[in-house]
Amino acid sequence: MLIQLHHLIPLPLREKLEQRDSDIWNKDVQFPPGQFVKIKAPSGTGKTTLIHYLYHVRYDYAGKVLINGKLWQEYDKEALAAMRQQQVSIIFQDLRLFEQLTAMENIELKRIMLPQPYCTREKVEEMAAKLQVSHVLQQSGRTLSYGERQRIAIIRALVQPFKWLLMDEPFSHLDEENAQRAAALIAEECRARQAGFILTDLDSDARFPYDVKMNL
Amino acid sequence: MFPFFTLLKKIIQTGVGKARLVMATAGLGIAMVLLLIAIQAHTNFSQLLYGRQNQNESADFLVINKKITNAMMGQPEKSMFTPEEMAQIKQQSFVEAAGFITSSQFKVTAAAPGDLQFYTDMFFESVPDSFIDVKNDEWQWREGENNIPIILPNDFLNLYNFGFALSQNLPQVSQETVKNLPVKITISKGLLSEQFTGRIVGFSDRISSFLVPASFMEWANRRFGSGMAAAPSRVVIKTRDPANPALVSFLDDKGYSTNQDKVKYSKTKLIVQTIVSVIGFFGVVLLLFALLVFSMFIQLVIASCKKEIQLLVILGTAPGQLRRYLMRQFAPLYLVTGIIALLLVALLQWVAAQQLAAHSMHISAWPGPGTLAAAVLVLLLVYAVNLHNVRKYIAQHS
Repeated sequence: MLIQLHHLIPLPLREKLEQRDSDIWNKDVQFPPGQFVKIKAPSGTGKTTLIHYLYHVRYDYAGKVLINGKLWQEYDKEALAAMRQQQVSIIFQDLRLFEQLTAMENIELKRIMLPQPYCTREKVEEMAAKLQVSHVLQQSGRTLSYGERQRIAIIRALVQPFKWLLMDEPFSHLDEENAQRAAALIAEECRARQAGFILTDLDSDARFPYDVKMNL
Repeated sequence: MFPFFTLLKKIIQTGVGKARLVMATAGLGIAMVLLLIAIQAHTNFSQLLYGRQNQNESADFLVINKKITNAMMGQPEKSMFTPEEMAQIKQQSFVEAAGFITSSQFKVTAAAPGDLQFYTDMFFESVPDSFIDVKNDEWQWREGENNIPIILPNDFLNLYNFGFALSQNLPQVSQETVKNLPVKITISKGLLSEQFTGRIVGFSDRISSFLVPASFMEWANRRFGSGMAAAPSRVVIKTRDPANPALVSFLDDKGYSTNQDKVKYSKTKLIVQTIVSVIGFFGVVLLLFALLVFSMFIQLVIASCKKEIQLLVILGTAPGQLRRYLMRQFAPLYLVTGIIALLLVALLQWVAAQQLAAHSMHISAWPGPGTLAAAVLVLLLVYAVNLHNVRKYIAQHS
């Protein structure tokens, strides 16, 4: 799956961007399939906005976002849903779990959204063990700590097929050890799918062997 | 998809406004029952009128004559039907066939043989053979034959047996006896007269007259009558439904009258038709309201879960999956309501059939095809309207 950006400019940041340069905004950018991409973005530069444009939950921009050569706007609702079920996965900065469901149910929701689930329940429990959240799986979303919820959100993103994984500050509430474990898990899952990811964060880091590094 | 829908159930609460949902469902149920009753009543009514077991011979034929008013007295031609009037009668949609009743233009006397001492002046009339309800090989006459077949009205025999005979101390006679009695018929006009032997060959419920074959009447009128072809003063029509309001109003407009008995049901029928229509109308109005409440309910459920639906869509749930889930929540509800309504109406129908059978009136113990079709149609309509609403409101929020 090919992602291309043509002179993408977020309308709220239009004036600010006239005063500084960016690797992404207002440029022709291509993300080759299967690459590990790191985008470093200090606060206020629009990294969450970029992720939202790439996932097509916000549309207040000038320029084009092309997925496999087609504008997001040209995908109808059913096609868009299909992309999100099988081609693009996401870890939101604000996690966006359902509080009415338990941790396990939140993960199951994504896992069984497809008639033929991509991974088994056992695999989910395996991943939970790796991230040390097995003990919270049956708890309601409301009662978990932010760090626990973040790890659940990570697992949720990894139970579906994808060609691209979008991550917006995915380790913000994890200690170093858990962050390393999570990164290892993510890298493993991406390689297994021959998929790439785009990760945005405030600072540089060495958690992944990045193929591309950019500044927003 | 079932496990997925089970999870959706925890997120999209259709329990919102449960009381309102119950009311909408109850409204739908009542609406359906009213509608189905109206349609079933219509079917029952038709069956009572036209059904095989309810057929009554004399209901099919009416004898029409012009009302004799004071203004017409003394002018016999005014009470006759002109060819134009006859043509008009034939044209009416409720008239399947019409025929003249031809009267005799000569004097007729009849005498019973032997001791019976029965002697009377009478008259003859004739109708086209197709209107005779007595199927008989004997109903024919050719010139030169001395035997005339005659058909008497049943009422006449009853009148004799229970009126005349008892009061005059005369013997009562059975139909068989009468058929075996030869009657001495004398036809005359002025000085010309001839004797015939009349044989009663049958009794009619249909036409209240002394009938002879049309061929005899023709011959006799030519020989003894004034020579002119007289216009008929009575007409017999064959009609499917003598209580048809259109027929009754036609007769009223033209100043014709007929055996009142058979048309009196017309008023009853009109009243029943009106009541049934009113019930049906209320059923339709109630149905529309139920549909409205259902659509508002769906809107409420979806609006109250707006955020959840939006997040589900963001996570990749297809709008089709959401629609299917919502329809699964609602569809069983109206299906069950429809089935209960149909069962209720079937039960009422069975009870009604039992009650009417005791009075020798027969209707089917099962709901008619019209009722079943209506039930199916209403359910389809409710389903379609709900699907449309689910589609609309999901699209708004996804």
